[in-house]
Amino acid sequence: MNIFRVQHVGDDWGEVHAELHRAFEMSRSAAQAEESFVYVVHHDDLLGRRGPGKAMVATGLLSAARTAALEGARKGWSVNVVAYDDDSDPETVERWAEKLATDAAGITGELIRIGPSHLGKALP
Amino acid sequence: MNGCIVVTGAARGIGRAIATRLAANPSFTVIGVDLSADLADVDDIVPVQVDLTKAEGVEMVKLAVIEAGVPLLGLVNNAGITRDSRLVNMTDEDFDAVLDVNLGAAYHLSTALADLIAENGAIVNIASRAYLGNFGQFNYSMSKGGVVGLTRALALSLAPHVRVNAVAPGLIGTEMAMAIPEEVLEKMVAAIPLDRMGTPAEVANVVWFLLTPLSSYVTGHVVVVGGGRSLS
Repeated sequence: MNIFRVQHVGDDWGEVHAELHRAFEMSRSAAQAEESFVYVVHHDDLLGRRGPGKAMVATGLLSAARTAALEGARKGWSVNVVAYDDDSDPETVERWAEKLATDAAGITGELIRIGPSHLGKALP
Repeated sequence: MNGCIVVTGAARGIGRAIATRLAANPSFTVIGVDLSADLADVDDIVPVQVDLTKAEGVEMVKLAVIEAGVPLLGLVNNAGITRDSRLVNMTDEDFDAVLDVNLGAAYHLSTALADLIAENGAIVNIASRAYLGNFGQFNYSMSKGGVVGLTRALALSLAPHVRVNAVAPGLIGTEMAMAIPEEVLEKMVAAIPLDRMGTPAEVANVVWFLLTPLSSYVTGHVVVVGGGRSLS
C-alpha cells in the first residue's frame, strides 16, 4: 500500500528537502506501477501553525497530490491527502488512508480532514 | 517612509516588472537579485548577481541590504524555474533543482532577512496557480505549494511586526509562456474566463498592494492572479 506518512521534520532545509524527496520517490514508483497513493499530514501544518519546516512539507504534499491526481485521472489511479489533528483517532486516520490507497471509489485530488479543527479556518 | 525592497528573480518577466514598478517610486531603493547578469542594464535597480541556493549568495544579499543604509521595508521572493515532465518520467535532478530554487531559496532568504525587516514591513512570496494542481508539474506544483505553507508559517511567526502574503500568478505573458507551442497556448487562453494572458505588470500591481500599507490588515493569504482560470 502506498501511504506516505510525514516523519519528524524540523525547520532545517535539509530535513524538509529530504522529506519531500522521499515523498517524490514513493509517488513516482506508485505512478510507474499505476497504483494509487495517499499522503498523511497534520492539519495544523497546512495552516503553518507548527513552524515553516512542517508547513512547507504539508502544503507541498497537498499541491503535489493535486497535480499527480491530474496525471492519475487519465490512467485510473488516484491521489489523496488525509489530514488529522491532535484529537483524531489514529485508527480512523489509518482506516481512511488505507481505504483511499486501495479503493478510492473515484475520489482523487481531495483533502480528507479527520476531526473538526479545520472548521472556521482558511481552506488550504 | 524611505527604505529598500529586495526582489529576487528580478532580471526578467514578473520579477523585472515588480522591480521596475517599485523603483519608479523615489521612496524605494530596489535591490534586484538574480543569477543572470541582465540586471546590470536596468536603471534605478541595485543589482546583486548571486545564486540563492548557496549560503554565500544569501549572505551577499544581506550585505547589500546593510550597505543600502536605509530600512528594509520588504522582500519579494520571486526567483523560480521549471523542469516539467510527467511524474513517471521525472528525474531526481529535475525534482531537486526546482525544489531548491523555488522553495529553498525563498526559505533561506526570508530567514536571513526577517530580523532586518522594519516594523510594518512585508514579505510577498510569488507562488503560482499551479499550487492548485497542474498537469506535468509535480515538482513545480510541490515547490509552489511549499511556498504557500512557508507564507502561512511566516505570517504567524512574524506577526504583528511583518505581514507575509503570497501571489499566485496564472498564465502570464512572459518569455516562459511565449516558449509554449502556439496551439497549446491558444487552448490555455481559451480556458481563461478573461480570455487572455495576464501581464507581468498586472502581477506587479498586486504585489504593490501587498507590500504597502494599502493591505495593512492582510496577512497569510494567497491572491490568485489568473483571470478566473481557477473557476473554469
